[in-house]
Amino acid sequence: MASLRYHLAVIAAKCSAKLIRMLGRNASHNPGVVALKICPKILSIAPKAPLVICVTGTNGKTTVSNLLTDALLADGRKVVSNRTGSNIVPGCTTNLINSLNWMGKCRVDAAVYEVDERASRLILPYLKPDYLVVTNLFRDSLKRNAHPDYIFSVINTYCPDTTKLILNADELCSSMLRPNNERVFFGIGKQPGDLTESINIVSDYALCPQCGTPLVYDYLRYHHIGHAHCPACDFHSQDAQYLAANVDAKNKVLTMNVQGNQADFPLISDILFNIYNEVTVITTLLEIGIPVAQVQALVAKIQVPDSRLNQVSAGGVTVVQAMSKGQSCISSCRTFDYVSSQPGKKAIILSMDDAYDRKQSIEYVGWIYDVDYEFLTRDGVEQVIATGPRCYDHKVRLLLAGVPEEKISCAQDEMSGVDLVQTDKIDAVYILYDTSTYMLSCQMKEKLLKKLEGTK
Amino acid sequence: MKIEILYPQLCCLYGDKGNTLFLQKCLPQAEFVFTQLNDKPRFLTEDVDLCCMYSMSEQSQELVLSRMRQWQAEIRRSMDSGKTFFLLLGNSMELFGQYIQREDGSKVEALDVFPTYAVRQAPKRFNSLLQAQFRDMTLLGYTSRFSHTYGISTEMAFSRVTVGTGSEPNSKLEGIYGNRVIGTYLLGPLLVANPDFSKWLLTHQLGEESPALPFEDALYQSYRVRLAEFQNPQLVLE
Repeated sequence: MASLRYHLAVIAAKCSAKLIRMLGRNASHNPGVVALKICPKILSIAPKAPLVICVTGTNGKTTVSNLLTDALLADGRKVVSNRTGSNIVPGCTTNLINSLNWMGKCRVDAAVYEVDERASRLILPYLKPDYLVVTNLFRDSLKRNAHPDYIFSVINTYCPDTTKLILNADELCSSMLRPNNERVFFGIGKQPGDLTESINIVSDYALCPQCGTPLVYDYLRYHHIGHAHCPACDFHSQDAQYLAANVDAKNKVLTMNVQGNQADFPLISDILFNIYNEVTVITTLLEIGIPVAQVQALVAKIQVPDSRLNQVSAGGVTVVQAMSKGQSCISSCRTFDYVSSQPGKKAIILSMDDAYDRKQSIEYVGWIYDVDYEFLTRDGVEQVIATGPRCYDHKVRLLLAGVPEEKISCAQDEMSGVDLVQTDKIDAVYILYDTSTYMLSCQMKEKLLKKLEGTK
Repeated sequence: MKIEILYPQLCCLYGDKGNTLFLQKCLPQAEFVFTQLNDKPRFLTEDVDLCCMYSMSEQSQELVLSRMRQWQAEIRRSMDSGKTFFLLLGNSMELFGQYIQREDGSKVEALDVFPTYAVRQAPKRFNSLLQAQFRDMTLLGYTSRFSHTYGISTEMAFSRVTVGTGSEPNSKLEGIYGNRVIGTYLLGPLLVANPDFSKWLLTHQLGEESPALPFEDALYQSYRVRLAEFQNPQLVLE
């Protein structure tokens, strides 16, 4: 019966995928829904690809999954991934269906799954991946993800014993996952400009998990990303078997210590979080057994899609759209830090209020007190325009951060916020948007460009 | 004036630190002490005017209790004396009840200051907007948690919920208001979000004479906008 259900599920899901594609839509979710409806156990009973890699974590999982998939494809392998679809159960099931032929047999060499960290409890025990890559665990939406300890407990509970973990040695939460599993660690060694004290409001994992003593950071990058030791006991961050020893941004070379040997790889981005993403991908490729020289060649062929930042100019002013995920304090902190430290005089438009909550609810914006609005007091920030239904909450946060009141403007309607930009005083305008307000931010950009063209 | 923040490295989820930032702006002359996990709470050994404890993970609850239990009798005596005002936000309130029941039915002994108990229900998360009456003030806020607190009587409730749900399902009673103690599931920057309540705290509990809040106009503007939004009869609470 299970077998009949299974085959029916595969055929029905594949038919639905064909139909959906004929309608011009992306069949990345619904085929999985169909398959699960007919055969709820499909994730556990379907034959798996010879190589199954799951990628999860708070930040970077999409980028790492995409880079990994690109590298494996460039290596000549037949690969499926859920890069165009959802990373929860239906999306992963659709990816599984795509790895099968009409007879329900595996047709690929490898499958890469981007897995939502909270949904991992419904996916990992059934997919039983060969490798689980965890990029990091940070605070995220309190509604969905509660707190990093909860997400840690989910992954720690539901990751199979047989899965090998590829973990970030520079991130204390995820690096403590599954100590009895086979594990390897990647990291970035001490670099010029690293800190030893946190400059962020949120710095989780500041205490020794063994004895509770405040940890000493040998180096610290942002929030709790760095390398720590306990002054009172023997606890310390994990040592990385795959360590980026030198990042040469000028010559675009990433030098890695790979289990005792040094190897140079092309540096595909000089933004810190993308360097972590690249190191994660290199580590995974090496771990699955691809020789160093081949990995070097593959990395030269992959690119980081920088969909989070784009810029155009008009009337002598640069307009930049920068993603600053709402409800995600780490994402917003990184963007605030980056934007406020760019050269020149700038106006910053905050349009991160959730597009869905505003329809019939009131977005909880307590998370903005975990975001370093203090970065916006830096020289060169001439104007901050808070827009959206929660603009007055952002204004209070800006005032408490020390941004002078005369630099702050508010508009409950984002498009009206564009009218408040004082274009004569600035070199650049940054529009900070949430994933839900991307289209709105595009409209804001268009309106702003017209305004700038008119003032040429 | 001395203000103690208990275990700030662990008890600081969901923007709770906004309260400390706000208090520092309200009371620039006050001394703020940040008590570390392995240290004895200052309110047990010296005069502390206000002691704040914020939200934490369930794992941190158990870690904090493992340290605080050794001073359980002293904590009870100190809280009974009423010398210090306690502001307990989010699930920190649960630490002062009798016990916390885990999902598997086992119990974590708590400090037994209040005749209440909490029951966890992870992975079921309870998220809700809250509007509640405390005295003549309308409080606006949010709760997000894995647990509910049971055993709160009308006499000891902090507030009566007018939009949303109280500390347990099907109840309108929210939080605990005892002898100079407020415990509430409201989380995040409660003081910033509720200027009237902040004034009451500063005046009636900390003895400040007619305090002017920092950026008072902006605070009230933000509050009024939210209050109007709460009046929407179709409001989605989650």
